[in-house]
Amino acid sequence: MPQKEMIILTNASLITCVVQKGLADEVVKSAQEAGAQGATIYYGRGTGVRERLGILGLTIEAEKEVITIMVANDQIDRIFEKMYVAGRMDTPGMGFMYVSQLEKAATYVPEEMIEKLVD
Amino acid sequence: MATEIRFGKYLKEAAAHYDIISYNDLIPKVERDAEGNELSVRASNIKVRSIDVYRLLQPYISSRVMEQAKAVVPLAVYLMLFQLIILRQSVNDTSIIIAGLFAVIVGLMLFMEGLKIGLMPFGSSLGTTLPAKSSLPVVLIIAFLLGIGVTFAEPAIGALKAAGQVVKVEAAPYLYSLLNDWSEQLVLVVGVGVGAAAVLGTVRLLYGWSLKPFIFATLTPALLLTLYIQQNDELSKMLGLAWDCGAVTTGPVTVPLVLALGIGIASSAGKGSSSLSGFGIVTLASLFPIIGVELLAIYVFNVTTAEAIIVAASAGSTEVVAWYEMTPYTEIVGGIRAIVPLVIFLVIVMILVLREKIHNAGIISYGITLTVIGMIIFSLGLTYGLNKLGNQSGGFIPAAFSQVGSVDGSPLYVFSLGILIALFFAWVLGLGATLAEPALNALGTTVEQLTNGSFKKKTLMYAVSIGVACGIALGVAKIVFNIQIAYLLISLYLVAIVLTYYSSEEFVNIAWDSAGVTTGPVTVPLVLSMGLGFANAADAIEGFGILSMASIGPIIAVQATGLWIDMKVRRKRKKLEPELEEELA
Repeated sequence: MPQKEMIILTNASLITCVVQKGLADEVVKSAQEAGAQGATIYYGRGTGVRERLGILGLTIEAEKEVITIMVANDQIDRIFEKMYVAGRMDTPGMGFMYVSQLEKAATYVPEEMIEKLVD
Repeated sequence: MATEIRFGKYLKEAAAHYDIISYNDLIPKVERDAEGNELSVRASNIKVRSIDVYRLLQPYISSRVMEQAKAVVPLAVYLMLFQLIILRQSVNDTSIIIAGLFAVIVGLMLFMEGLKIGLMPFGSSLGTTLPAKSSLPVVLIIAFLLGIGVTFAEPAIGALKAAGQVVKVEAAPYLYSLLNDWSEQLVLVVGVGVGAAAVLGTVRLLYGWSLKPFIFATLTPALLLTLYIQQNDELSKMLGLAWDCGAVTTGPVTVPLVLALGIGIASSAGKGSSSLSGFGIVTLASLFPIIGVELLAIYVFNVTTAEAIIVAASAGSTEVVAWYEMTPYTEIVGGIRAIVPLVIFLVIVMILVLREKIHNAGIISYGITLTVIGMIIFSLGLTYGLNKLGNQSGGFIPAAFSQVGSVDGSPLYVFSLGILIALFFAWVLGLGATLAEPALNALGTTVEQLTNGSFKKKTLMYAVSIGVACGIALGVAKIVFNIQIAYLLISLYLVAIVLTYYSSEEFVNIAWDSAGVTTGPVTVPLVLSMGLGFANAADAIEGFGILSMASIGPIIAVQATGLWIDMKVRRKRKKLEPELEEELA
């Protein structure tokens, strides 16, 4: 019986980005245009800047979308920057983002890629 | 000469400039009081630059404007294009109408936003804490009063009052009187109907009763009263209005507030987990007012005479109009009178019954202010935008098949073709307006989950829209051919009753609720005023009844679709069962 093959990816990082509900798609699109492979979005509720903005805080949704994107280490700066601009993170209340190093990752990798890269 | 730049250097220049700050420097220092205890940190307000204000406000406003514009603009464009291309009539008062439509969009936007931040928090906290803190009778009384309150706050109710001005007093004196002299009582009766529906709907949820007996028990008196009213020529002119009221009541204020309370009560009793919880209240809220208005119509008929109304109406027109009866003051007074009593009632309940403090009083009063301002702007837009446009297009459509004074060369088409064009126009209008209704989209999602995907969202949306479309076309046909609406109503509702009897509980709930959901604050005034304009131009006595046809349409369409899906599922199961048993064996 042949042994199961498993591909482990290294040199990967995770970009996490919290934005208001409904704005995630735009940020994900910009990340994908910059080379990100895919994204996972989940829902949450945030607090912080919204309460400190006074009446303007009403313009900010308390419900948030949390985007997580796995990127290669070489891509970090490029994609991070694109997402920063698309999410307009320089405006108060728009959200925040961070990068964390991943030890290892695994997912589907196309056959021809494996042949080319593994030896 | 070519200049050489190192690619890496270029990338570095093109990329954003990074400044690195340690997060340690940003956090507030821990302060201690005299005894060395830590003081809790109080975050200060953030100073925003003007560009930030713009960046925050721009998407906030534009997304909300777009939401309403999506409902208003396509319909308005459709009406105008139809008038221009098919009827070859230019749109009169274009600038006023466009300003009016703009007011509708802005007004609805402010109203909905205010509703969300000002009134809905009351609704949800009422729903969750009220049942726990007071006894069932008190809860039901509050539900009843809330039903009345929300009816007055419903924006589409204003359309009914506005419609009263178009009715010719000589042709239908009692209808005129009901809409003008008795308009407050009319809304009150509708409100009592909604209140009763809130009470009975909640009790039904509590005890898990089936909706079917409620439908039969409400329709029987409604249809019997219809038969009785039909016996008298003068009375029968009010039938269309009575059945239209059902469609008008269930709008953006009533549905969420009453539902929040009903579901809250049912779930606190441990009965809210059923997948069908929340359904049924809307159905009852659109049926009870019909009986109420029918009774009021009979009462008005018995206390006044046609002559007295006509005399009073002609005398009234010569009087000097008081300042509060002129635009925009009547809209301002109306807007305040619609919202403020509801707010006062909610606050009283919160403080006296629930003994709870009102959190975020500042934000809530801001929301309520928005609601009132939105209501005022919306009413102005209703008068100058939606009603004017609907009335005008409605008035020109008969020119397609008959002689209309204001249109040169009418009839524009051969009689049969003209009628077809008019009916087709009404059909497309109904289809488009319903598909654009955001509430229908939400209902579709719920239904798909409820039926485990056997009733697809698209199927429901098209069933409802086609039902409404056929209903509106039928309503127009009623005006053209002067069909007695009682016969249409009785025969269609009998069909609906038969379908209800054979349908499963889920589909009954979905079908009867979908009728109430489809008629929003844009569709109702537009269809109402179109019908009235149409009736005036076609020399019919009254133009009501289109909305009631638009309500019964989806009920029949959805139930028929439900039965068809049931049949398909059963047939499939019959085919698959032997195979399954074989496999198990």
